[in-house]
Amino acid sequence: MSYATETKPLRLSGSQPFTQQPGVYIMIGERTNVAGSPRFAKLIKAGKYEEAVSVARQQVENGANVIDICMDEGMIDGVAAMSRYLQLLASEPEVAKVPFMVDSSKWEVIEAGLKCLQGKGIVNSISLKEGEEKFRQNAATVLKYGAAVVVMAFDEQGQAATFEEKIRICERAYCILVDEVHFPPEDIIFDPNILTVATGMEEHNNYALDFINATRWIKAYLPHAKVSGGVSNISFSFRGNNKVREAMHSAFLYHAIAAGMDMGIVNAGMLEVYDEIEPELKVLVEDVLLNRRPDATERLVEHGEKLKNVGTVVNEKKAEEWRNGTVEERLSHALVKGIDAYIEFDAEEARLKLGRPLLVIEGPLMDGMSVVGDLFGAGKMFLPQVVKSARVMKKAVAHLTPFMEAEKAAMAAAGHVVKAQGKIVLATVKGDVHDIGKNIVGVVLACNNYEVIDMGVMVPCEKILERARTEKADMIGLSGLITPSLDEMVHVAKEMERQGFKLPLLIGGATTSRAHTAVKIAPHYSEPVVHVLDASRAVPVTTSLLSEDGKAEFVAQHRADYEAIRKAHSAPPQQVVSLDAARARRTPIQWRAEDLPTPEFTGVRVLENFPLATLREFIDWSPFFHTWGLKGIYPRIFEHKEQGEQARQIFNEANALLDHIIQKNLITARGVYGFFPANAVDDDVELYTDETRAKVLTRFHFLRQQSNREGSEVCRSLADFIAPKETGLPDHIGAFAVTSGIGLKELCDRFRAENDDYNAIMAEAIADRLAEAFAECLHKRVRDEWGYGHEETFSPAELIQEKYRGIRPAAGYPACPDHTEKGTLWRLLDVQANTGMKITESFAMWPGSSVSGLYFAHPESRYFSLGKIDRDQVADYQERKGMSSAEVERWLGQYLNYEPG
Amino acid sequence: MTTAQQHPLEKIMDSRIAIIDGAMGTTIRTYGMTESDIRGERFKDSKKDLLNNGDIFSLTQPKMICDIHHRFLEAGADIIETNTFGATSITQSEFFIDDPREHGGRKDPAFYQKIIEDPFLSNLAWEINEQSARQCREWADRVGTATGRQRFVAGAIGPLTVSLSNSPDADDAGFRVVTFDQVKTAYAQQVRALIAGGSDLLLVETIFDSLNAKAALVAIREVFDEDGKELPVMISAAVGRGGETLISAQTTEAFWIAVQHVKPLSVGLNCSLGPDLMYPFLEELSEKADVAVSCYPNAGLPNPLSETGFDLGPQDMARYLSDFARGGLINIAGGCCGNTPEHITAIAKALEGMPPRQIVSRV
Repeated sequence: MSYATETKPLRLSGSQPFTQQPGVYIMIGERTNVAGSPRFAKLIKAGKYEEAVSVARQQVENGANVIDICMDEGMIDGVAAMSRYLQLLASEPEVAKVPFMVDSSKWEVIEAGLKCLQGKGIVNSISLKEGEEKFRQNAATVLKYGAAVVVMAFDEQGQAATFEEKIRICERAYCILVDEVHFPPEDIIFDPNILTVATGMEEHNNYALDFINATRWIKAYLPHAKVSGGVSNISFSFRGNNKVREAMHSAFLYHAIAAGMDMGIVNAGMLEVYDEIEPELKVLVEDVLLNRRPDATERLVEHGEKLKNVGTVVNEKKAEEWRNGTVEERLSHALVKGIDAYIEFDAEEARLKLGRPLLVIEGPLMDGMSVVGDLFGAGKMFLPQVVKSARVMKKAVAHLTPFMEAEKAAMAAAGHVVKAQGKIVLATVKGDVHDIGKNIVGVVLACNNYEVIDMGVMVPCEKILERARTEKADMIGLSGLITPSLDEMVHVAKEMERQGFKLPLLIGGATTSRAHTAVKIAPHYSEPVVHVLDASRAVPVTTSLLSEDGKAEFVAQHRADYEAIRKAHSAPPQQVVSLDAARARRTPIQWRAEDLPTPEFTGVRVLENFPLATLREFIDWSPFFHTWGLKGIYPRIFEHKEQGEQARQIFNEANALLDHIIQKNLITARGVYGFFPANAVDDDVELYTDETRAKVLTRFHFLRQQSNREGSEVCRSLADFIAPKETGLPDHIGAFAVTSGIGLKELCDRFRAENDDYNAIMAEAIADRLAEAFAECLHKRVRDEWGYGHEETFSPAELIQEKYRGIRPAAGYPACPDHTEKGTLWRLLDVQANTGMKITESFAMWPGSSVSGLYFAHPESRYFSLGKIDRDQVADYQERKGMSSAEVERWLGQYLNYEPG
Repeated sequence: MTTAQQHPLEKIMDSRIAIIDGAMGTTIRTYGMTESDIRGERFKDSKKDLLNNGDIFSLTQPKMICDIHHRFLEAGADIIETNTFGATSITQSEFFIDDPREHGGRKDPAFYQKIIEDPFLSNLAWEINEQSARQCREWADRVGTATGRQRFVAGAIGPLTVSLSNSPDADDAGFRVVTFDQVKTAYAQQVRALIAGGSDLLLVETIFDSLNAKAALVAIREVFDEDGKELPVMISAAVGRGGETLISAQTTEAFWIAVQHVKPLSVGLNCSLGPDLMYPFLEELSEKADVAVSCYPNAGLPNPLSETGFDLGPQDMARYLSDFARGGLINIAGGCCGNTPEHITAIAKALEGMPPRQIVSRV
């Protein structure tokens, strides 16, 4: 395969990358062009930018890959309108993900546009109209900003109409761009002018063919260059006759794309499908476009008259199924997706349903924002989306505010004391200049109807406190990004205590943490000091702190949580025995050869494409219901008074989907397992290359219970369940890694692309169950291969309850919580090569629906929970693992019985 | 494109992974400097605290700063960064000009226009950049000569304290406190001073807002064109858990596409995430980029309760970066916040003899 001759694709970006795919036409949305859309022009002229933003959003929703933005209109200040509109789009994450085409005949407007694009967009356009010098200069500027460029087939003499003119000008432009300006050829997009046909002028009859032929020539002779065009020009003579125009557009595109046209400016929602053009019309249209007969125009005009009053057949795509949900679901969806189109309508519906405006804010709206917070915390939403959600929230709150005012007025009239809107003073502390994050918190709070007094950066303690006092603030929020700011925050807390403040204090910023706030700041101030993890968490905290009903409970819970953190960080809260003493109290086992079965084989076996139908028998359904928030044991859950019916329903749906998955082989289960000669040496288990047990293959390192072991209670370690080397008895250990997640991502992506999040989640939940079932099913096989399994007579239900002999503990779970042991397992079984399963740097398994662990066969082996371990064990373990103690402490953080460092 | 003359740093990267230095800010803190130390005579009457304006140390405590540069060079760094992360008129203004928000005002383009026209701030910014570049030049050459190994000075261009992508106004998502041209002007001045001081490379780093970075890159191009001298450019982004630039939320590949036209010497990731979380994004970048890939992460995520403020020790960082090297992902390695000269020593030692990532140019 020769790589060099392949055409390089066009690569662009907004906040997401866009790479042209071979044979796939790039759709450039045209509705955000004042010349192409009277509605958009009207919105811009009236200064209704917010509505204008929704036009862009619809274009993206309708499938535009790029959106063309043009402000060329006599009454519009192009530079100002272009900048403002693009800056607004930058705050609209659903739109900002696509690349933008900055479209203007005025160079200063184009340059203003380029200054607003973080990604790689397209400039539309440059040409040789004003000569080579200007052309070179403009091209160099486009390259400087890193955009692709549309080159119009114009020169000093004017517009290229014929095939010869088109290719002559394009070739000339190409040579200047590539050889002199060093413009990447794959970023050059020629627009060889789509001109109107069927005008009645004979010399116009070949215009469509001229374009198509020029396209073919460019693609053949100007390496990597692209071709685009404004398609609607072609049918201008049929203005008012949408039926004919749509047919002309799609027939023209059909032929131009075949000739190599890469992209075009179209209304993504208004295109007839080529194959669905009615046959008679198609012939007439193609006669015109391909200039097949001299009377083609008259014939199409005549036929067109008959179609004139037929409405458009193609409807704009509707992606609005979410509108069918309950009002709570709709509000949550709108917040998560940042859609403000219906928010006032939904807020009103919720108000009528719940009775009071405040209940809408504290109920469904706050719930929606918590979802946003969770998604952000999980890295599934990004900051601009959080801010966008807050702006949607603001609209809902704005709708509800007059009702709250009225409520307050009524209460005041009835003689009650009315609380004003919450007021918060925000500042980045003295010594620190970072405040972009704090600004975002400010925006989110302001959107939630708080009065935010932002004092900026480097603000000394006295000034913050003085301002809080004069403004009668309800709260103070401190921010800081660098380590020394932490001490300044402690100082502010002490000052607030000394001066007798009664306000809650909020702490945020990159180096701050919940633990630090609890341990180092909160003890200095008697009022609540609350760490706010990120902007998405600010509102739930402030709302709780200002809520009349909820505050007491929130503060009590908060104090208890922080007290627990402090305890965990102070003196060891638990009694521990020394590691030596713990080792002396290992699980007492009488080692007998007959308890140590020999497996049928040693080494590794791979399970390729394991039958899902078999795994299905081993599914433990109870956790499946937990995924859906239904608590109960399968099958008893079906009898449950409130949840039974719903449980039955999702169970049936899950099984229907599972049938479908099995039938169509939509996901694949793969696994690998093995048996190895092994013996225990202290708390390690050595695995040997063969039965001579002379050479160590690898070692698993285990930890031992050390805390709360009163009297002579046994201190367990998994190493206890393998015969110690000094017994001289040959023992074995098993290891496994299984997944049922191969193909799952593609399946879920498909569901999501169809806006079917429900089935996407369902598929994930099922795959998780299948992975667990796989581990269970494989354990059965392992017990058989070990021999003792053949005597079992358990039902699947009893297997699920793990009534059998032996255990299968997994790294990262209570008996052996160190995730890094998975690394050893991966090497031992060569898991990645054998199954495609990977472990990430944080030792998570990929794909998600995967299980891995070890098999222990001894009848005495059992599960247990490690509990806290002490410094002596960490020191010993670190030595065994060859890690630094800081590293070990990081992985085992929550299991430490002391504060590290 | 075939480069007629290969840059000497590129030649080094043909055979091994080049080493870049560690953190300036967190290393300065180990010297126990006080407010009066940073002020010295020159800034003794400054109205605001300067202690966290670490770039000023290059003017008032050059001995300490040069000692840090020296230690990083001794630790094995091929590339040292100038102490100029915040050396623009815009960032310096935060330490010298009253914040209008303290008095109920706001920061907006009119405010920043005054900042970039303020002679005190622009002279100061120029001086820091030029001085710091000179100091680095001197020590890079000294240690380079003494060890027979050429060392390089990267002029460090930080992300600013303002964002071109984000609006701090709750009522107007389209508002920006500063304009592209203002940011570009501030950067252009920094670039010129870094070149005047003798930098070998320009490093646009810790990019959390791609549009800020773009302004820096446009400024660099314009300075090159106007002054007729070009230096290799290095680009490094700070990404979050989803691999997105922290403020402007551009994913790694989208970011690379947006800066590729600069034909940088290298592109990479630094700061933000610890090395453990960085792997998938580095892998993505390594797969897509046809230039050298750099990586100098923080010593783990910030942990305010640990002594250095960060979790990972020298051996931990060495192990992570070795993992990246084994994965064939990197050509340049070092550390960001929390990485002391001891960290760099460990990293340099661990990477010795390990092959660099193959740079596949996509024809």
